[in-house]
Amino acid sequence: MAKDIRDLADEEVMQLVQSGNPRAFELVYDRHGGAAFSLAYRMVGNRGAAEDIVQEAFLSIWRSRLRYDQARGSVRTWVLGIVHNRTIDSLRRSTVHDRRRETMEGVEERQEAPERTEVEVARREEARSIRDALLTLPDEQRKTIELAYFGGFSHSQIAELLEEPVGTIKGRMRLGLDKMRRQLSEGYAAGGFA
Amino acid sequence: MMDRDHTSYREEIGAYLLGALTDDEREAFERHMEDCVECRAEIEQLRPAADALPRSVEQVEPPAGLKTALMEVVEREAREAVAGEGEQTWAAPPARSRPPLRERLRLPSLRPAFALGALLLGLVAGFAVAQLGGDDDGGRTVVATVDQERIPQGTGNLKVEGDGQDGAILRVNGMPDLRGREVYQAWVQRDGMIIPQPTFEVGPDGSGAVAVPEDLSDAQAVLVTREQRGGATAPSEQPILSVPL
Repeated sequence: MAKDIRDLADEEVMQLVQSGNPRAFELVYDRHGGAAFSLAYRMVGNRGAAEDIVQEAFLSIWRSRLRYDQARGSVRTWVLGIVHNRTIDSLRRSTVHDRRRETMEGVEERQEAPERTEVEVARREEARSIRDALLTLPDEQRKTIELAYFGGFSHSQIAELLEEPVGTIKGRMRLGLDKMRRQLSEGYAAGGFA
Repeated sequence: MMDRDHTSYREEIGAYLLGALTDDEREAFERHMEDCVECRAEIEQLRPAADALPRSVEQVEPPAGLKTALMEVVEREAREAVAGEGEQTWAAPPARSRPPLRERLRLPSLRPAFALGALLLGLVAGFAVAQLGGDDDGGRTVVATVDQERIPQGTGNLKVEGDGQDGAILRVNGMPDLRGREVYQAWVQRDGMIIPQPTFEVGPDGSGAVAVPEDLSDAQAVLVTREQRGGATAPSEQPILSVPL
């Protein structure tokens, strides 16, 4: 009896996507489209712009599906990496004044997704744990990381915004990531991301 | 000098992982990283922290129309990719049996996975295909799927001879003229094996054609990659073009 496609692991689904199967691609969207949209929305702070970015990103995933290499990471990390890069491109194309400083100002409108499955509940728990790890960083490191990753700013733009030397900003990024890595390791070791 | 360069690149590891380098800086960093074991090791050490950041985001519901719009395009492209399958390009079947493609091209029988033979054939086949223009009868045409990130303007189709035993002709358009040390190379995918086929080039207008002499009757796909002039025995990159069979 044939296995239901929904029972397949992401990496197996991607093999079907690589053979041009649109149902398999739809399943990849169902599993990761919400996270992709949430990331883009977190970065641009606007549902319409986030929608455009995610559509472009997923079309690019479909059209370059043969480039997926499971040895280089999970499907989720690959998808979110593509969405992140697309969003940064979009932010950097827009003028500085048009760009939303969402990381500094907060998001006005949120429509939180309901928790529907055990997987989604676990992902929310994981998200909380990662945010907690971010909050353990010194304020200047956390702000620098958020401006870079979620704001799409380059290190020199952040240096200008915060009126700090570029070398200081680069150092905060590296030290902040290292501290966060250690926090996350402790979280995993303690079973915090069940 | 070398130490100073390494130190300055090492300072950028966090910015690299967070996407905070400009395109030029990122390219320079990646060139350095190719030769720097120390930087690569530190990147792998810090990568889990950077990879965790997108998973920290509060989940918001995407608009329902997003999936609908996306799948419309995907379904259409998937249909187009297989549109030629089973479709007769010419209305009437040939009145007489045609000699196999190999005979018409006066090519010797090709041993699968024998790259050198395939390579030599590439030159002959490229010329012979040019002579076949307008020799239109029988077979089916399958539309190729092109990696549009790497080859944005590329299109292609595969004209399969009869039931595929006699090979096929791959025609491409909108492909970059490689000019330098690289050529395009065709491959046949069958039972998990990738079998080398002739190399070919495209003209200044981006169009080109190549004969694929391999028996395609039980093949899964015909693929194209870019390889060093002289051809390869195994693909060096993910295919830029594929024709599902």
